[in-house]
Amino acid sequence: MKQARRILLLLFCYLLVAIPFKVMEIIPGFTDIRPVTMLGPIFAVFYGVPGCGVMAVGNLIMDALSGSLRWSSIFGFAANFLGPFLIYLFWVHRSEEPFSLRSGRNILKHTLIVCLAAILEMILITPAVALFYPEVDAKLFALTVLLNTSVFPLIFGIPIMILMQEELGFRPLKKRKG
Amino acid sequence: MNHLQANLCLLCVTFCWSTEVIIFACIPNTVSPFATTSITFLAGGILLLIAFARRIIAGLKKDTKKLLLRCVFLSAINGAYNTMFQFGLKDFDVSTGAFTLSLTVVALPVIMLAQRSKVDNQTWFSSALVLVGIIVPLTGMLTKSQIPGLTIIVIGCVLRAFYIIKLNQYAREHDPIVFSTLICLSGGVMSFLCWMVVQPGTFLCISWSPTVIASLAIYSYFVVALAITLNLIAQRRATPADCAIIYSLEIVFSVLWGALLPASLIDPVSLTPRLLIGIVFVVLGNLVVIFDFKQLRNKRREAGT
Repeated sequence: MKQARRILLLLFCYLLVAIPFKVMEIIPGFTDIRPVTMLGPIFAVFYGVPGCGVMAVGNLIMDALSGSLRWSSIFGFAANFLGPFLIYLFWVHRSEEPFSLRSGRNILKHTLIVCLAAILEMILITPAVALFYPEVDAKLFALTVLLNTSVFPLIFGIPIMILMQEELGFRPLKKRKG
Repeated sequence: MNHLQANLCLLCVTFCWSTEVIIFACIPNTVSPFATTSITFLAGGILLLIAFARRIIAGLKKDTKKLLLRCVFLSAINGAYNTMFQFGLKDFDVSTGAFTLSLTVVALPVIMLAQRSKVDNQTWFSSALVLVGIIVPLTGMLTKSQIPGLTIIVIGCVLRAFYIIKLNQYAREHDPIVFSTLICLSGGVMSFLCWMVVQPGTFLCISWSPTVIASLAIYSYFVVALAITLNLIAQRRATPADCAIIYSLEIVFSVLWGALLPASLIDPVSLTPRLLIGIVFVVLGNLVVIFDFKQLRNKRREAGT
């Protein structure tokens, strides 16, 4: 019950940030400016798999609300889950030290993993859009996805994560021993 | 939060503020600047209030009168300079507007000196670099018709510099979350009172459209709630002069927005040589502060001995 309430709260946060930006379209019906992607690493590191799920479901809901629910939305769903999931895998399962952005080295590591996740998302969504909707400018689409999923998680995501961990007492998920 | 993290937070704050010019461009001129300040500050304050209700109530129990007085004082200054910027910016395009707003960097050390506070050489050096970065592009762009707007903005910048100094002082004494929420709410209430005087119909006078609602929401989240909170928290670890210099990066971000974003969202900015030279000087001025060369040199010396 507590977990369900938490997921609903995360989804509410997602929609609260995502909805206003729907008017800032770059390719109408396909891409817009999405600062909501900043929540990806935050949800992944602090809430784990349910947080990654919220990113995927939230994106699907936004597609439905804006009337842009298409076949490519399936790939959008997968990409929006896998991008944050990669960040979760790195910080919670792969990294030797727990998540912390106190040193330049860790900030660099986080930047690299966010960029990798952005590339993964771009690789997953762009071919699907190019295949189903050849009229869409695939290069512009790919660039928009790449910038959306890297710039906002870095510029807004990093300070918010610092704020949450250092000042607001949120605890990032840790690797389970054994 | 350490020094590096505080600088990163200040960078984010600057980034948020740089979008101000774009958001203002999305709001029709018929919407009074008081309306924009009032709606966005109230919305930002309510968001923070909902998110941190318990902490805010607990914080208010301690030293309520002093806290409220300081918030009202800061909100009055904040509301005043924001409104001045909105009036002044009507005479400028995105890139020139951004350069004028950054004159705060120059006003701040001067005010500190007038208050007999110590300003180190590194700060003067970086402020001078940023000033050159502001002057070079402005001399090529300013017209006579823009002088009234520029005068309003310069007065706004002096007020903003004074605001930063006071904010830095108060941020060290109070809970930043409580303080930022109260600043937003009191700023919103004050602007609302002014709005009522200017436009008695208030909300009914705005021609609401999805773009206006979206612009106000974006402003509330990022420029008000997030930026004010992050700024207060980061200010506890940074000096007012360092803050003002990092804030000057607003120019670089604003020009980038104008150069990269589609014309459907913002008036395009053409990257002229003067503009680029200005940006280079502003970035140099910032590097001097962010990397704190003096500290790095001392560390090297210590490592050498």
